[in-house]
Amino acid sequence: MRKKFPKDISRRAFLGAAGASLAAVTLPEAAFAQSGGRKVLIIASNQDIPNLDPHIATGYSASFLLRNVYDSLVKIAGNPPKPVPGLAASWTSTADGKEYTFKLDPAAKFHNGKPVTAEDVIYSFKRAIRLNKGNAWMIQGVVGPDSVSAVDATTVKFALLKPFAAFLQVLPWIWIVSKADVEANLGTDDGQNWLRTNTAASGPFKVRRAEAGNLYEIERVADGWQKGGGNLSGAIWRIVRETASQRLMLQRGEAHIAVDLTSEDMDALKDKPGVVSIIEPEYRTFSIKMNTRHGPMADPELRKAISYAVNYKAILDAAGYADLMIGPLPNGILGHNPNLAVYRTDLAKAKEHLAKSKVPNGGIKLTFVHVSGLEQQRRWALILLDSLKALNIELDIKPMIWPDMVAACRSPETFPDMFPVYQTANYGDPDNIAFAAYHSSRNGNWQNAVYGNPEVDALIEKGRSESDEAKRIAIYREMQEKVVADAPDIFGVLEKRKLALRDAVQGFAFVPVASNAVECLGLSLK
Amino acid sequence: MLHFILRRLVLIVPVLFGLTALVFAIARLLPGDPVALAAGPNATPAEIAAYGKEFGLDRPLIVQYGAYLSGLMKGDFGVSIYTRRPVIEDLRAYLPATLELVFAAMFLAIAIGIPAGLAAAAWRDKWPDYLSRVVALGSISMPRFFLGLLLQLLFAMWLGWLPLGGRFPITEDPPALVTGFLTLDALIARDFTAFSIACQHLVMPAIAMSLSPLATIMRMMRASTLEVMQQDYVLTERALGLSSRLIMLKYVSRNAISATLTVIGLYFGWLLGGTVLVETIFDWPGLGLYATKAVVTQDFMPVIGVTLVIGTLFVFANFAVDLLYGVINPKVRTE
Amino acid sequence: MNAQGSVPESARRYALRRALFRFSQSGLSLVGLALVVTLLMIAVFGPSLAPYPEHLGGAVNTAARFRPPSLAHPFGTNELGQDVFSLVLGGTRVSVLAGLAVVMLGTLIGTVVGAIAGYAGGWTDEILMRISDLKLTVPGLILAMAVAAALGPGILNMVIAIALSWWPGYARLVRGEVMAKKEELFVTAARAIGAGPGRILFRHILPNILTPVIVKMSLDMGFAILTVASLGFIGIGVKPPTPEWGSLLSVARGYMPDYWWTAIFPGLAIFTAVFGFNLLGDGLRDVFDPKARR
Repeated sequence: MRKKFPKDISRRAFLGAAGASLAAVTLPEAAFAQSGGRKVLIIASNQDIPNLDPHIATGYSASFLLRNVYDSLVKIAGNPPKPVPGLAASWTSTADGKEYTFKLDPAAKFHNGKPVTAEDVIYSFKRAIRLNKGNAWMIQGVVGPDSVSAVDATTVKFALLKPFAAFLQVLPWIWIVSKADVEANLGTDDGQNWLRTNTAASGPFKVRRAEAGNLYEIERVADGWQKGGGNLSGAIWRIVRETASQRLMLQRGEAHIAVDLTSEDMDALKDKPGVVSIIEPEYRTFSIKMNTRHGPMADPELRKAISYAVNYKAILDAAGYADLMIGPLPNGILGHNPNLAVYRTDLAKAKEHLAKSKVPNGGIKLTFVHVSGLEQQRRWALILLDSLKALNIELDIKPMIWPDMVAACRSPETFPDMFPVYQTANYGDPDNIAFAAYHSSRNGNWQNAVYGNPEVDALIEKGRSESDEAKRIAIYREMQEKVVADAPDIFGVLEKRKLALRDAVQGFAFVPVASNAVECLGLSLK
Repeated sequence: MLHFILRRLVLIVPVLFGLTALVFAIARLLPGDPVALAAGPNATPAEIAAYGKEFGLDRPLIVQYGAYLSGLMKGDFGVSIYTRRPVIEDLRAYLPATLELVFAAMFLAIAIGIPAGLAAAAWRDKWPDYLSRVVALGSISMPRFFLGLLLQLLFAMWLGWLPLGGRFPITEDPPALVTGFLTLDALIARDFTAFSIACQHLVMPAIAMSLSPLATIMRMMRASTLEVMQQDYVLTERALGLSSRLIMLKYVSRNAISATLTVIGLYFGWLLGGTVLVETIFDWPGLGLYATKAVVTQDFMPVIGVTLVIGTLFVFANFAVDLLYGVINPKVRTE
Repeated sequence: MNAQGSVPESARRYALRRALFRFSQSGLSLVGLALVVTLLMIAVFGPSLAPYPEHLGGAVNTAARFRPPSLAHPFGTNELGQDVFSLVLGGTRVSVLAGLAVVMLGTLIGTVVGAIAGYAGGWTDEILMRISDLKLTVPGLILAMAVAAALGPGILNMVIAIALSWWPGYARLVRGEVMAKKEELFVTAARAIGAGPGRILFRHILPNILTPVIVKMSLDMGFAILTVASLGFIGIGVKPPTPEWGSLLSVARGYMPDYWWTAIFPGLAIFTAVFGFNLLGDGLRDVFDPKARR
């Protein structure tokens, strides 16, 4: 069934509305005594969901919604993560890694009641590639418009343009839409306007209410095709800007899961009754992107000077549970070079590079934007401000809301001088961060708004289609060196994933990819 | 009397007209690109232009203002660019919460301020009087957001007696909508659990809001009571043997009413404006929080709407207070 | 109304002496004076008094984060290891200066508008007063918030934003005083000897209504500081790294209850400053304007 955005806000909606409404009765136990036997999981998050279109929306907040409302051919589960059946009940592949055949689950049906067919899969992949937005980069150059074909109504065959080592790992992020629904609401923009606020999905949940800036509620589809799972009747993605408010909500039992906590929050929660903390390594990088195309930062010498001036120890101190990144790729991932020569605090070298730059005496003011309310980013901004004083460079710190920041990425002219980015890996392969964050085809998107280097592009493409592991390692090592030489980012930290759950949440199994985009099907509330 | 009312009413019209112009002018100065925001993060320039047209942002300012004004007449406050909902619906939804908070704060201020002011007058220049003065100045000096935080720290975080914020649990269904005031609606529905939950949410923000008017009422009561006590006619009546309690009751009650009226007139708008800070701290889903979020997201129609509603309420509150003065004191009418 | 315009100099001085005597008899006013003097001293010398002056410029010391209050850090340290005591001291200058600027600017605009309206009367008066009424229909904080958001953050913008919602109070006060004074003997006399309206206004009338304006300014200082802090708290105040009480409190709000010292001390600083000015202003009003004593 298609769920429209509620036009009139319901009475309940506005009561709970706004910011971090910490609505609850006095005692934590009482907060869970939800009426009518409904079991609604409340997730507190900083980030709004700017768009519901599965082939456009990105970011963990959108991933949360899409992951629960839409289906993909395969899903991801376990630690280490492995592909498991989704819409596809089973699949086979050829030895050369160029052909995959998926057998769809015959029970699978959309919310509108129609079965999910090979046609829908083909339509979805074609739309994703045609729009070339959202997660399309994951299959770019791998799946072409004619790669997908139907063997029969429930069998789809992929003839890849070239082999892709991580093909099964990216499939969980390419969502399948109902062809009939989208075609019926095509408009002039391939259904983009319609899918922005409506869904054409087959997932276990559907959108119940969507209030921008406030909350998104999903509810279990009554006659959905997915059987089993937990006892949740629904879940609420509650936008709580301040991380400390998230922590207090959790502590008081007003939220079940908080996803943006700082290390201090985790420490404060350590011995609190009823709270389960999860601090796990995950491929989640934090770096500060610099505008390599426009403004003073287009000068590589200045970028290098800044890279050397940064107080990395303070960055690490302020992060808490984290490690410093060594180069562009997450530590420990295939091909990562732990001995890479990267920038570390060295004022002499910083000044040396500054002297070679177009602003040898500093005296400029750079803009640093960050997500308003994300305390961790604000701290790094202040550390950077302090670090840059040594170069006689001023920093103008601007808090912005996430949709505005994403909008600023559209062109080099609107992109700020410095742009901090958390990037969560959707799949545990070097291709993920390499392609999303450094391939020039991603320009205009928040993961890589401006940076591009043809040599790096070539290496990333080569690494993507190479199946020999040793060769891939060599390719990625070269790529890392080239990226470091360009200094497009201040490589920050690899933060540990910090989640806190109420102990009433049952069935949560940590999966180290996109674990903040919580998958609700298996969860129960006590 | 009718003439008096009419004259006051006529005076309101240009004020309201000017209010809309002022507010629209300010709101259109907001920085950023609201159209790009509405068009979505991945929109093309063509799409942005289309959205701009849809919202009429490509037209000259004066035309936009004219359209806005004629819309207002029909109850059209524009559409929030961020939430894509009509602003009028949001205002309708958030206004009762703000009014409930303002009235609760007023109630606290009057209920505590009047007896406290009487006490200060009765013990003039003794310690209760000094105490009342220090407390009054302290209350006026206390930032509402700081007091709010202290209350939260004490009653929500350390003692755990009261909820940290919000108006009603988001997972619960509130009592049936009648007045829009949750406390009253709960009483009407005879749902005493809901009433108690609503009160628990209301008490801290109401206290944080009430301090300034409380202090003012207290000082006014003190002053007017002292004045009455020194008037000749009171001394005469006392000499005539009327019990001092009766005298006090007679004049003091009149003073109490006029002090209350003045303070309501003075503080109604002030409280409405003050909700911005208190609602932000307590996540009270009212106009103040709505406006703060709109400013943050550079969503100008809601900013205009809220300012307009608050301004209008303020104008009418003053109008009502004027009328009531006229009723109490006929001299005002002929002024 | 304490006009001494037509009284001889010695009588004016006598009145002043009496006023000072009455002021000194009021314990609370003296407390207020002491607080204000201390505040002004800190505003002037604050940065050099700060034990960690480098923190005022944004220096961080991440090795000493969230230290509770101690001898080395009387108010503890914050999330970046900055000394909260130093930040609070440094914030005094911003708050006092901004408050002062708001009141000055508000007084300047208000006095000019009020004086013109009161002196000219008629249509000019009507129009100017309707405009000032307009500002009174929108609560100051909301107006300031909208204007500050429109202009962007920064001390100067904040001051302009608040002052824009501040002047009507002065305009009304000055207009009333001017209207009362302009028919008085000394004005008529000045006019008779051929003084122009500008000269009459600025040489004869305005000096005589200085006292109520000063009393209002001292009373308003507290509220101006409060409004500055409120805007800082909402997040449209000064830019980092300049320490400002409201924004310090706003950030620290997230660290309660565990690191309460990061919030309590900036909050107390706001309260103390506003309280001091209110005590002083209240005392001054009692002295110069006994009728208005409430």
